[in-house]
Amino acid sequence: MQDIALQASQFAAWLVDTDIGLLELRTPQGTLRLGRQGDDIVELPAEVAEVKSELVSVHALSLGVFLHSHPLAAAPLVRAGERVEAGQTVGLLKIGPLLLPVTAPLAGIVEVVQADDGPAVGYGTPLVDLHPL
Amino acid sequence: MIEVLSSAALATVQDLGRTGSLRWGVGTSGAMDNLALEAGNLLLGNALDAAAIEVPVFPFKVRFSEDCAFALTGADCAARLDDQPLLPWWVHQAQAGQVLTLGLPQGGAQRGSRAMLCLAGGVDVPEVLGSRSTQLRGAFGGHEGRALRRGDVLRAAGAGAGAACKTGFGLVPPALALPLQQGGVAAVRVLPAAEYMGFEPASREAFWAGEWKITSQSDRYGYRLEGEALRPIAPMELRSHGIVPGVIQVPHSGQPIIQMRDAQPSGGYPKFGTVIEADMWRLGQAPIGSRVRFIEAGWDEAVAALDEVRAWLDKVARMVELHRGAPAARR
Repeated sequence: MQDIALQASQFAAWLVDTDIGLLELRTPQGTLRLGRQGDDIVELPAEVAEVKSELVSVHALSLGVFLHSHPLAAAPLVRAGERVEAGQTVGLLKIGPLLLPVTAPLAGIVEVVQADDGPAVGYGTPLVDLHPL
Repeated sequence: MIEVLSSAALATVQDLGRTGSLRWGVGTSGAMDNLALEAGNLLLGNALDAAAIEVPVFPFKVRFSEDCAFALTGADCAARLDDQPLLPWWVHQAQAGQVLTLGLPQGGAQRGSRAMLCLAGGVDVPEVLGSRSTQLRGAFGGHEGRALRRGDVLRAAGAGAGAACKTGFGLVPPALALPLQQGGVAAVRVLPAAEYMGFEPASREAFWAGEWKITSQSDRYGYRLEGEALRPIAPMELRSHGIVPGVIQVPHSGQPIIQMRDAQPSGGYPKFGTVIEADMWRLGQAPIGSRVRFIEAGWDEAVAALDEVRAWLDKVARMVELHRGAPAARR
């Protein structure tokens, strides 16, 4: 972050002579945001709030048939509004005779079970949305 | 090691059975639901015929004294590991000290009657006459030749911290993958046996058309059924002869008895039919009080049905192997 801060004035000087309205630089050390106010380039505060409230989607890690409940059970594994723990099974992927768990990557509240019960889903299909806790 | 915490009435160590010893007068024994045993062993990467614990009475409780992978198949018993609910037909990982509880079988029409608890590497008991199955009548095999009791300690051959076994996945149970019903009732296929034609035509018809109740006098030795009595055309007196699990005998009462895995190797009642080998697992899961129907089958159908079961197991073996070989899932 320090390196970026040292570079801020250099970037600002370059930006003055352009028509760029906003520069955002993300690095492993941090994020730098520079914006134009009239003829001046000023440093803007980092955006933090939006990240907090973002939903986390649980994606299919394989091709399979998405199931809301175990084939022997009537009740779904999770319902919208339910709290789940990290690692908890929130759905199943059926591949032939095999059942693989779809697990919550972190603790959260189930916002919605996105995918329908029964159809085949592809790798990466969003299945369940969670509000991280 | 696992320690039995409940008074485990009638829970026994079973593998696929002590085949080849009928000529010595030694019954077959073995898992009542052989498909559950084989599937559980496949989930764990065990040999197909590794021994497991068959649990017919609930609740059943064991404590793991070391880390151990285990698979739950057979009847869905609302299992819990400590307070954590467990999925049925699934391979799980237990940590040392955790307690596994099996509750009452659930699942409505799909309700089974016997849970299989398979352990990594199989239950390590000595082989007797080529099998680890408990021979209750002869009081040998399994764990000290008897049903398990509170305080018994069993060793899993593949337990321990060093043993790596992929857990956390399961199977679609064969009751759903290989369903068989007749008129909305669970069914098994039957080959007519030697004395079949000695029964009145109306009785033969009634046998296939009717529903048969599995009475409370049913266990690993045999199932006594209740339905329309089967009448012989003339009384039949037979000398004792060899019988195998699946044989349906008709005693004088006319109410049939199906010989199950702990059947004695000989008997003298007339034989009406024989439940085909491929369907014995279905009968093994039929709860007391439930109803069953019989479907007439021929030799070719019986062999084809066995092929179908083998094909399901082969597919499971292939898919499980692929999954075991796959890299751990990305988060």
